[in-house]
Amino acid sequence: MLVDGEAEKSAVEGGVTLEGRYERIKAAESAREGLLARPRFSFRMQLYLSFLLVFLFAAATGTILIIVSHEVETKLRFLEIVNDYMLEIQQARRFEKNFFLYGTNLNDALENVYRAKEIYAGDVEELKRILGKDRHAQIISNLERYETLLKVLAELDTREGDILQYQGKKKEIEFELREQGQKMVSFGQELMKKEKEALSEALLWSRRIHVYALGFILVLLIVNAYLLGKRILGTIERFSVYAQRIASGDFTPITPSRRFRDEFTDLAIAINQMILELESREAVLVQSHKMRAVGTLTAGVAHELNNPLNNITLTAHMLLEDYEKLSDEERKDMLEDVVAEAGRSKSIISNLLDFARESSSQVEPLDLEKILRETIALASNQLKLSGIKIDLQSTGYLPRVHGDSQQLRQVFLNLILNAIDASSKGGKIHVLLMPADEPGYVAVKVVDFGRGIPEHILGSIFDPFFTTKAKGRGTGLGLSVSQGIVAKHSGRIRVNSKEGHGSTFTVTLPVTTIPAQITNA
Amino acid sequence: MAQKLNVLLLDDEPIVGRRLKPAVEKIGCEVEVFEDPKSALNRIEEKTFDIVVTDIRMDDIDGIEVLERVKKRSPRTKVIMITGYAMMALAREAMEKGAYDFIAKPFTPEELRKAIAKAAQALGVAVSEGNE
Repeated sequence: MLVDGEAEKSAVEGGVTLEGRYERIKAAESAREGLLARPRFSFRMQLYLSFLLVFLFAAATGTILIIVSHEVETKLRFLEIVNDYMLEIQQARRFEKNFFLYGTNLNDALENVYRAKEIYAGDVEELKRILGKDRHAQIISNLERYETLLKVLAELDTREGDILQYQGKKKEIEFELREQGQKMVSFGQELMKKEKEALSEALLWSRRIHVYALGFILVLLIVNAYLLGKRILGTIERFSVYAQRIASGDFTPITPSRRFRDEFTDLAIAINQMILELESREAVLVQSHKMRAVGTLTAGVAHELNNPLNNITLTAHMLLEDYEKLSDEERKDMLEDVVAEAGRSKSIISNLLDFARESSSQVEPLDLEKILRETIALASNQLKLSGIKIDLQSTGYLPRVHGDSQQLRQVFLNLILNAIDASSKGGKIHVLLMPADEPGYVAVKVVDFGRGIPEHILGSIFDPFFTTKAKGRGTGLGLSVSQGIVAKHSGRIRVNSKEGHGSTFTVTLPVTTIPAQITNA
Repeated sequence: MAQKLNVLLLDDEPIVGRRLKPAVEKIGCEVEVFEDPKSALNRIEEKTFDIVVTDIRMDDIDGIEVLERVKKRSPRTKVIMITGYAMMALAREAMEKGAYDFIAKPFTPEELRKAIAKAAQALGVAVSEGNE
């Protein structure tokens, strides 16, 4: 009664102990906290930042261009003023020349000088700024001197007097006047030349800024696109690796792998939640498959129980029938038989009950040979019933393997039951325990010499719900569940089969030095 | 009781033979008990039994083979098969191959005695049926 109750309870729990599930939830919770503890740097933020950067750069470029164009404008205006000024000066000089050559009056020349002064005075502050104090002073003094000389000359001309003296004075003034005029013109020309150069340089700069700014914005956009793309694609790639990992049965939650969090963090948290869900569902699946295996084994157990039950029945009946005739010794013998046969019955069902009841999932160092022996014992009734011989061979001295003995027993049992189904009466099954071909792995091979698996379905035998057994005989989940369990142990199941010659299923499990490798892989 | 019935009892469970030998002898049969199918078959080659009771499922040689050998040696011999509950298909096969009767485990000594008595009747021999 008690035993029954316990078996029922463990079936309800669905194969995962509450403690184990609590641990999983805690792991998921701590992963969630870890994921959320990081500073947030979302894709939206990166987009905003990059656009802001481009905008700031464009604004800076625009400002610089406005300044440059303002400068160009100023230079153009300055050139215009200088040009007007020069025209007046040149006009004045032409009248001055005419005076000396043809004796025309100097009033026109003076008028031009006044106008030049006016032009200069009109923008004097600006010109002073552009030319600098020294040059400004020089221009003013040149102009004043020229005007003074012209005035003196004009006065001399109007005054009738000593011709000789006048001539001499005139020559003197003419010389200085020409010198001053020359100076003014060449200074102005030099100024214009310099300003023109400066102007063309400013224009060149403005052109360069345009080209460079465009180039820089292009680079900025490319770099940003690259960074953004790398971030998105890299994360997607990482998540596809997670998906593969989860599909292979590794239900470790996703843990932080970057220094910041973003929209994908929400996805990671959702996936962690899904992993919890998946894990509990898988546990239910594993458990329900285990119960199916128990069901299969029950037939064998029921049959095997017939023998001790029959012995007890016969003995008890004979004891009753001949009670008075039998000696004490004989009666005692018979009762001992009853006791022994009852014990035998118990041992027939106890393996199965152990297998059905124990469901705590824990990783521990495993003695694979012992597990295989126990599994074979579990299937022994089935083997007897089918008239199939099984033998276990081990190379011995194998490196240590860690894992969940309950779940691995389920895998091996499933392979052995499949082998029994595939074999015909009187057949043989070999179970081999040896180092795997690949280093660092241990292999368990279950070899049968039965029907074998047709090549065209060999690829789908591990698919869920795929079965070759008759309807109601197989769920098609055995190998799928087994593969899930083995994958959880970072191992693999492979099959080698030849139709008509039999099949070999090989389970490889990694040799572990640190048990944590399995749970956290 | 002019003549004693010769019965061979074959079951790889030793207790079965131990308990059934006295039980069957009570109804006036000569009983030889075997646990090993091979030695039982050897004995069958030597001696013709009236009735052979054999377990249907044994490790090396199964009951069907024993049945075939007995029938080949002496078609007149009645063969009673002992079967398990889960082996009705096998029992049917045995009946088709000429078994006289079958009896399912677990059974009582009385049930076997009745089956033997029935077979004896078919052979035209009367046995003292039931408890004396």
